[in-house]
Amino acid sequence: MGTGSLTQLMYTARDALSAQSYGLGVTGQNISNVNTPGYVRREALLETRALGTATTGSVNVAGLRRATDIYIERRELTARGSAAAAMEHDNHLASVEALFNDLGNTGMGSALDGLFSSFSALAANPNDPTSRAAVLNAADGFASRANALGDALATLRDDLLQQAQATVQQINERANSIAELNRRIQAAEAQGEDAADLKDQRNNLLLDLSQLVDVRTIAGDNGSIIVQASGTTLVEGVDSRPFVIDLNADGSLKLLSSRSGTGGTEVTQFLTGGKLAGIKEARDVDVFDVQSKLDQLVFDVANAVNAQHFAGFGSDGVSGRNLFDVSATVDGAARAIRLSADVAGNPAAIAAAMDAASAPGGSGNASALANVWNTPLSGGRTAAQSYGDLVGSIGMRKSAVAQAVETQAAIKEQLQAMREAVSGVSLDEEMVALTKYQRAYQAAGRVLSTVDELLQDLLNRVGR
Amino acid sequence: MRVTEGMRYAGVLNNLARVSSQHHKAAQEASTGIRVGKPSDDPIAAAELARLRASNSQTSTHLATIDAVRGDAELTESALAEASEIMVRLRELALQGSNGGLTADERSALAAEATGLKEALLQLSNTRGTRGYLFSGSQVTTPAFDSNGVFQGDDVAHLVPIGNSTPTAVSTSGRESFVVTGGRNVFADVDSLVTALSTNDEAGIRASIDTIEAAGQQLVNARASSGLVLSKLNASESVLGSLETEQQRRASAVGAADPFESYSRVTALGQSLERAIAVSRQILDLGGNSRF
Repeated sequence: MGTGSLTQLMYTARDALSAQSYGLGVTGQNISNVNTPGYVRREALLETRALGTATTGSVNVAGLRRATDIYIERRELTARGSAAAAMEHDNHLASVEALFNDLGNTGMGSALDGLFSSFSALAANPNDPTSRAAVLNAADGFASRANALGDALATLRDDLLQQAQATVQQINERANSIAELNRRIQAAEAQGEDAADLKDQRNNLLLDLSQLVDVRTIAGDNGSIIVQASGTTLVEGVDSRPFVIDLNADGSLKLLSSRSGTGGTEVTQFLTGGKLAGIKEARDVDVFDVQSKLDQLVFDVANAVNAQHFAGFGSDGVSGRNLFDVSATVDGAARAIRLSADVAGNPAAIAAAMDAASAPGGSGNASALANVWNTPLSGGRTAAQSYGDLVGSIGMRKSAVAQAVETQAAIKEQLQAMREAVSGVSLDEEMVALTKYQRAYQAAGRVLSTVDELLQDLLNRVGR
Repeated sequence: MRVTEGMRYAGVLNNLARVSSQHHKAAQEASTGIRVGKPSDDPIAAAELARLRASNSQTSTHLATIDAVRGDAELTESALAEASEIMVRLRELALQGSNGGLTADERSALAAEATGLKEALLQLSNTRGTRGYLFSGSQVTTPAFDSNGVFQGDDVAHLVPIGNSTPTAVSTSGRESFVVTGGRNVFADVDSLVTALSTNDEAGIRASIDTIEAAGQQLVNARASSGLVLSKLNASESVLGSLETEQQRRASAVGAADPFESYSRVTALGQSLERAIAVSRQILDLGGNSRF
């Protein structure tokens, strides 16, 4: 071995020190980010350094690799979107359920019972002013409860519209940020720089975005990605196409994908995941359905009671008065119903008698009013049965969605575990890697000192 | 499969949350005794509970209605019983008066008693209950009969809902009881007796024996009718009482938690939670051990 070879060995040791030091740096980076959300563990890529055709035995740092599995990541995005949609849906259904929880003394079951019980009490003592006043109170209580429930459902729909608008704003902000990161990643990779941290940031944004809307990613040019949401392109390269929320004629939500200068394309029917899908489902399917059923029930009860009351006579001998003022159509009946001005504050106007002659103590009409309780309304169901059906349908829906929440959460957890298995940091592995690089660094140093001793020895011999 | 720190902590968190949530729900059920606290706990049971609550409320209302009208029905029956007794006494007076050995003065004394009894009859026919004059039909604010025994009410029955079928009549007609056309006019018959006794008309007194008896029978019949109303109310109350008990039993069976089952579940889940905590501690200790 000549001095040339020794010098070469020195360079080899130098490269080894540099490479093991790089490995130690990467390991340190992994350890320090063990708890950083969205962090993807890195691996130092080392390779033998070729010098022409000669074998030098030297080592070269080729860069680092982010440990990812793009297929698992895509599935996780979908699972997160589905889980977020189910969770959001479940939260809003819980609000609806709370409104109709007669088991917890909310709902309108007791108001319905009170109304018909008051007719029975009136029949027992038609000439008693207290019984007549009790009918007015019970009727007002029924109308007020219907108003409160109708208003609460309408307010919930309004709130959900605002939440949908806020969610779309969040989606657009994240789309802009992803487009900007695409630009920076493209620039970094074009200059041969490491863009791992930028990709981690973008990954975090995608995870965040997947909670808001269903997301699908496609690899683009130079490290950029194309992001699709609700069946349309949300981000392509450095451009993003914002979503806009609008309302259809029937008041349901409409999601539009817009390009600057255009009105936008409707993509509502492709919305399948994320918070936005949960809001849309709760608002336009469940709350709407409950509103419709409540309106129908209130409309039917009010009209059946009105028809019977109209036919009867008050203790003042007057007939032809309604007990309730209610809307002409089913739509909005729960919010519109009021105690009729014809009877409000006038117990004598309560029509307990069947005819004018029996007005003072006749109870025939009061009994008939009480019997409306047992009379099938529209749909062939009595008021109590219809209300039971409504409560049951809310419970059924809530229960199904709660089940979906558990299922989707389990799928999400599984995929998170799969991603974590690929991309997460294991301190056991990192400690092994730390020892591996430490020992290699120490050995390279030993090579260097050995070469140095050999060269010193050689110089001493030559110089003598 | 690689096991990372994130997986360890997420696993611990998810498992504890899951078992803890189940334990919380089971503990709530065991401590409250309520299995269906909200519709989504058991939608079918919740819908059935809503219908049972409505049915139970209706049953309670019917029972309250029976309670409210029973007093008047009893009062009616009692008034007619007393009126029947009076008619028995009047017949006795007629029989006494028909005795050929009686003087005019003695018949006059009998007439005075009969006049007093007629006043009592009038008072009974104008008996007032909680809803007004009981024999006035729907004209509850007007006395059923004036001082001459002329009927001032009507024949409208007091109808109340005490079942799911047609309303039940719980009143007794004043006209049918005292002055029905084609039957006897109780007051007129008593007046005839009083007149015959006062005028020492032996033949008239004898004729009154039968009419007073017929009038008395009419009141007995009316009393029987009002007794039927009371029987009907009692029978309905008995049936409704059983129904109410059954509805409450059914509601309890549908919505209440089985105490043994729920206690067993909360105990089993408590043990699961303890195991989950112990395993979690081990996992976290593994993560916390100094390496190498």
